[in-house]
Amino acid sequence: MSEMNNKELRKSTPVTIQADENQMALDDGRRVKVLSPGMMVFKRFIRNKLAIAGICILVFMFAFSFLGGLISPYGEAQVFHKTDSANKELADSEINKTFRFYDMDGGNATYDIRTSFQKGIGKNPDGFSFTAGSNTYVVEKLGEDFYTISGNIELGTVKVSAGEETAFVPADGQEVADELAAAAVAAVAGDQGAKPALPAISKPGAKTVKKDVTFDWEGATYTLKPSDTGSDYTLLSEPREFAVASKLRVFAFDEQYSALTSDYNFRRSSELALRSVEADTDADGNAYYPIQAFTYIGEDGVETEYRMKKIDEAYGIVEDIHEEEILSVSNFFVSPYYPDVRFTREFWEALKAGIAGRQTTFEFVNSVGETEKYDLIKKDNNDNNYTIKTGQDTYLIDAFASPTSEHWLGTDEHGMDVLTRLMYGGRISLMVGFVVMILENIIGIIVGGISGYFGGWVDTLLMRFVDLFNSIPYYPMMIIAGAIMDSFDVDAKVRLYLMMAIMGIMGWTGVARVVRGQILSLREQEFMVATEATGIPVSRRIFKHLVPNVMPLLIVQATMGLGGIILTEATLSFLGLGIKYPLASWGSIINASSDMYVMTNCWYVWIPAGLLIVLTVLGFNFVGDGLRDAFDPKMKR
Amino acid sequence: MSERSENVLEVRNLCKYFPIKAGLFSRVVGHVHAVENVSFTLKRGTTMGLVGESGCGKTTVGKTLLNLTPKTSGDVIFNGNVELDKMSAKQLREFRPKIQIIFQDPYASLSPRLPVGEIIGEAVREHHLVPDNELNAYVSRIMKSCGLFDYQKDRYPHEFSGGQRQRICIARAIALNPDFIVCDEPVSALDVSIQAQIINLLEDLQKEYNLTYLFISHDLSVVQHISDTVGVMYLGNMVEYAGKEEIFANPLHPYTKALFSAIPIPDPTVKMNRIILEGSIPSPANPPKGCKFHTRCRECRGVCSRIQPKELDMGNGHMVACHIYDPESGYDKEEAK
Repeated sequence: MSEMNNKELRKSTPVTIQADENQMALDDGRRVKVLSPGMMVFKRFIRNKLAIAGICILVFMFAFSFLGGLISPYGEAQVFHKTDSANKELADSEINKTFRFYDMDGGNATYDIRTSFQKGIGKNPDGFSFTAGSNTYVVEKLGEDFYTISGNIELGTVKVSAGEETAFVPADGQEVADELAAAAVAAVAGDQGAKPALPAISKPGAKTVKKDVTFDWEGATYTLKPSDTGSDYTLLSEPREFAVASKLRVFAFDEQYSALTSDYNFRRSSELALRSVEADTDADGNAYYPIQAFTYIGEDGVETEYRMKKIDEAYGIVEDIHEEEILSVSNFFVSPYYPDVRFTREFWEALKAGIAGRQTTFEFVNSVGETEKYDLIKKDNNDNNYTIKTGQDTYLIDAFASPTSEHWLGTDEHGMDVLTRLMYGGRISLMVGFVVMILENIIGIIVGGISGYFGGWVDTLLMRFVDLFNSIPYYPMMIIAGAIMDSFDVDAKVRLYLMMAIMGIMGWTGVARVVRGQILSLREQEFMVATEATGIPVSRRIFKHLVPNVMPLLIVQATMGLGGIILTEATLSFLGLGIKYPLASWGSIINASSDMYVMTNCWYVWIPAGLLIVLTVLGFNFVGDGLRDAFDPKMKR
Repeated sequence: MSERSENVLEVRNLCKYFPIKAGLFSRVVGHVHAVENVSFTLKRGTTMGLVGESGCGKTTVGKTLLNLTPKTSGDVIFNGNVELDKMSAKQLREFRPKIQIIFQDPYASLSPRLPVGEIIGEAVREHHLVPDNELNAYVSRIMKSCGLFDYQKDRYPHEFSGGQRQRICIARAIALNPDFIVCDEPVSALDVSIQAQIINLLEDLQKEYNLTYLFISHDLSVVQHISDTVGVMYLGNMVEYAGKEEIFANPLHPYTKALFSAIPIPDPTVKMNRIILEGSIPSPANPPKGCKFHTRCRECRGVCSRIQPKELDMGNGHMVACHIYDPESGYDKEEAK
């Protein structure tokens, strides 16, 4: 039956063909599966392993960028901080072995006096007198390594020179009342009046006799001592105690007592108290130091009572009358680097113990109960000198942190999580790619379509316009645009949109050319002539016949072009012309590698971004290649 | 539409010149004389064969008739009063279904991205020839009458063989219920067995729908089979035009004689008396003066190279353009070269 049908079919005229609707022969056309061109393309595409690999890459990239941002616990521009124990140098400390001098108010232990004291003290530990300059000073021992220095204090100089007015110049650090200065000048003048300053004839070898001039002012006697060489006079006060020399130092535990530490009287009386305490034995036969009360007379004459708690020969704690420990007297020096640094008694003790034990670190429990660690660094290889460093916690931006379980790819220079930045950067990179591609294609299809369909002078005009666009240098243009946006301080988001617009406007010419060429050749095809012959309207001819035939090529072109656009965006961002902080793009993330340090040490910042770009572009190219092969009916693979 | 006149098509002095552009400003430096002074009349329900060498302007005649390329001069009148070049674009579009064309290359003339049903039915729907709800059935009927199967409607052209594609092309033309179809070498791209099918199909359809064909071909056997009248073209000119029997029995023009002598006779014992034309066809951009055929004509005499021959009615609708049959031309008085 079927055979007959087939025979009939071959020789018959169409009118006699009776299609058998019920029975099918083996070679019946109805057995062949109907595939639309789209399905054929899809079938060919999914057979292409490379294209499937590309699709997988792209699916991963999209999931990574668009879902990753939702999953990631961190924000796009979330900055991470760390508390780093920055080894901050806090203070120098020293066990004092030399004498230090403390001047009384108005006293002045000059360099001459200090050196003379140091020279003499070794031979005469119980006190001596010495001459410095033209004055004599007396050193008096008050206790172990504790001396006072007395003598005349140089207050200033009365300068006498011919032709100039006699003037008084105060000595360094001295404040001399104007009236006293005037009295001194007057006394000198009186002296000068009695004797001419310069004899008319000066005989060689003859000694000019000069005498001290004394005068009284406000109940005190002052001496004007003529200098050896000139006609000047030095103004000296009455001999009195003006400085102490000691190996101890007073250190306040609290800010409010710091004034006392620089007070001469307090220092003298507290140290005297420490020196005067004698060891006693308690009932059990243990030696101990009894607490000694002492009185401090302030400058205003107010007497205050304090208690000295001696701990050893060179260390005592001063309490106020409420038995609160306020300061220490010891041979132990701490010079803080910062003026506001104060040490508590506990810290003080810990530090002292640390140095005494020659330790390199010591710990200290502060008032809040936290354990603070300090390092002791020996200074100048001297057992007595140390620098105290704290492990002080500093709140820092956690930049360039290595990968951890919290930050899988570490952090970047802004202290942001690199993985999260990559996710958000992927959004922007992919978005830029697609938006620019769509923009390019819209403009390109319109211009190319008009040009190709209408031809003639329209074509010529539009294509010359395309040539004009093509001759604009791309990168200089983008650099200029970037610079302009920089100078106008454009917001990062606006900048992103502008950049996409510029890239789209600069890039549509290729699409226009392809579309135009394709439409020009399609327009002459017989099936297009047939549509004209059958009287199909122009719009339908364009959208139903031309466009579907241009579409495959455009899809391939666009897919291939996407990779290029992403690369361009990455390049621009890398050069700092594209996406700006706080927005991220893969290119701008790689930008960090322009720093040599990051390049060599922080692979986790820029290598992943680079890999993502390479993979994405590769993916788009694979898919593009696959589409091209799939759309090409001659490809039988 | 206009009242049904006896003559579907009247062509008077149809000319088509293609400009030759050259130089920087695309200056027109000359014309290709593709069609010159072609006149003929087609009666309803008849087939006119148009034969001639490659490049003699047959296809241009077909396309110019349908205004697919605008004519340079002359008149083309359909159904007694319709002139395409005087219509507005809208009117032209509406008249298009009445005049159809079947192309030579069935591969290039079908859009590769549309299913066959859509290709055939598209224009029908656009012109509202049948109600939308009957369109599907209508397309099926047309396909069946063209030897196609209903189930092939959803297939795409690339799934069909050349013969099937040509059937699709024919179906597309037939579906619009035309009066007149230009068959532009519809079988030349097909193998001989398929040619016969297509020719038979065309003949059957002609009977069924009372169609008028202009059958352009360089295959004389096919023309002899299908035509009622035959026109012979040489270099843009119609050199001879007559009824099929008349022209095959009694070809007058030397070119026609030469052409017809090339028809193979399927009998190896018969010695063929072929007239071999020498030289090649002259350039239509620079056609010879006088009779265009005189450069290759055996019977050429002096007058032939000087004066273009007039069309002579030799009786019985037999037209020929040759000085040999024109007593006024003075051909007889000149010596043969």
